[in-house]
Amino acid sequence: MSSETGTDLRATDAALIERIMQRDEAALEALYDRYAGMLSSVLNRILRDTQAAEEILQDIFFQLWRNAAQFDATRGSLAGWLMVIARNRAISKLRHHNPAAAGEELLENTVALPFNLESAAAQQQMLDKVKGVLEMLPKEQQTAIEMAYFEGMTHSEIAERTGDPLGTVKTRLRTALETLRRALN
Amino acid sequence: MTNGHPSREEDFELYALGSLEGDEKREFEAHLASCADCARKLAEARGRVALLALAAPPVKPSAAVKARLMQQVRQDRSRFDAASAPRKAERAEGYFGSWWAAGILVPTTIVLAIIAGVLWTENQNLDRRLTNLRADLQQQQQQFQESREVADLITARDTMIVPLAAQRGMPKGAAHVMYNEKMGMLMYEGELDPAPANKAYQLWLVPAKGNPISAGVFTPGADKSNHFMMKVPQGVAPAAFAVTLEPAGGEAQPTGPKVLVGPVS
Repeated sequence: MSSETGTDLRATDAALIERIMQRDEAALEALYDRYAGMLSSVLNRILRDTQAAEEILQDIFFQLWRNAAQFDATRGSLAGWLMVIARNRAISKLRHHNPAAAGEELLENTVALPFNLESAAAQQQMLDKVKGVLEMLPKEQQTAIEMAYFEGMTHSEIAERTGDPLGTVKTRLRTALETLRRALN
Repeated sequence: MTNGHPSREEDFELYALGSLEGDEKREFEAHLASCADCARKLAEARGRVALLALAAPPVKPSAAVKARLMQQVRQDRSRFDAASAPRKAERAEGYFGSWWAAGILVPTTIVLAIIAGVLWTENQNLDRRLTNLRADLQQQQQQFQESREVADLITARDTMIVPLAAQRGMPKGAAHVMYNEKMGMLMYEGELDPAPANKAYQLWLVPAKGNPISAGVFTPGADKSNHFMMKVPQGVAPAAFAVTLEPAGGEAQPTGPKVLVGPVS
């Protein structure tokens, strides 16, 4: 389901942000079509609540519509920022924390991505790569990193949940993240 | 931590995950605030961690989400356009009414009012000073005129000096009158005992023909002396000058006893 026009498909995120700043609804629609599926997936994985996930999804893009001028495309990746914000919002809701203010999210969460995810093909390629990395990890490391990322759990909470020593949990997470780093660099 | 930097590279990912706790987290954040290099590394770590989102099972959002979003956007745009139009009009039309009135006109009016008040006060002060200066100038001109007249009287060759002698049984004293017939001016200088209560001394020019002419009413001070100038009708040839004791305020014609008398020889 993509309604992006040919022009919008080729437009960069930065160009679409510029158009949103000019109150161009089509530009927001293009960005939604580009990233809504990716965000919907992570929101549903974290919340396991479709309605809650859709509310956050709608709110994220509406925030982008209202505050596009605050996003500096030269400092970070829009795709990366959207994924960080989606996870933070979902974890906050899951753990009943107050999410950061919209302005703070835009200004503080600079996210650098070495990959361009502006096309569906690029997203699929990266998805395959990340899944491949995770599948390579030992089950304990895979479980630890999924609990940390999709449930927002700290070392201590993971240790408590799994019954493993805290040091072991830390080592598993560090090792898994080191693997991820090497794979994605 | 090594020299403040995280000792292991994966610390950046752990922080991005939100897994760092306690002192580790506090030290990391304290260092980040002052280290641009570590802030850059954290941005990169955030990107790598963010990619974990792609590992989530794919779930497409319903078409209703996009429809609601775009409806929300259109409503927001309508509100924005509706709100910005009056604001633009207000800025264009009400600029002077609001901004100038509130920001410039009112303070300017106050300042002008203060300045006007200060200037009015200053003007009043200047008026008073000018009036005083005029009065002083007039007084000085009068004094100068009198001084010049005294000088003229004293230096004039036809000014006569008439001594006045005390009369028997009267208050003790002595005086003289300098008189110039052409100028119609005389000057009295003398000493007399204080006048009785409710009484005053009065100087008379006694012409050769006609009634005496009053030339001044006076009361001696503590030093008994008096000195004054007096203008009288010009061209009056005097037969004598006399001082009489009169009721306070003087009389049109002599009514009291002669205290001092000086015949013109």
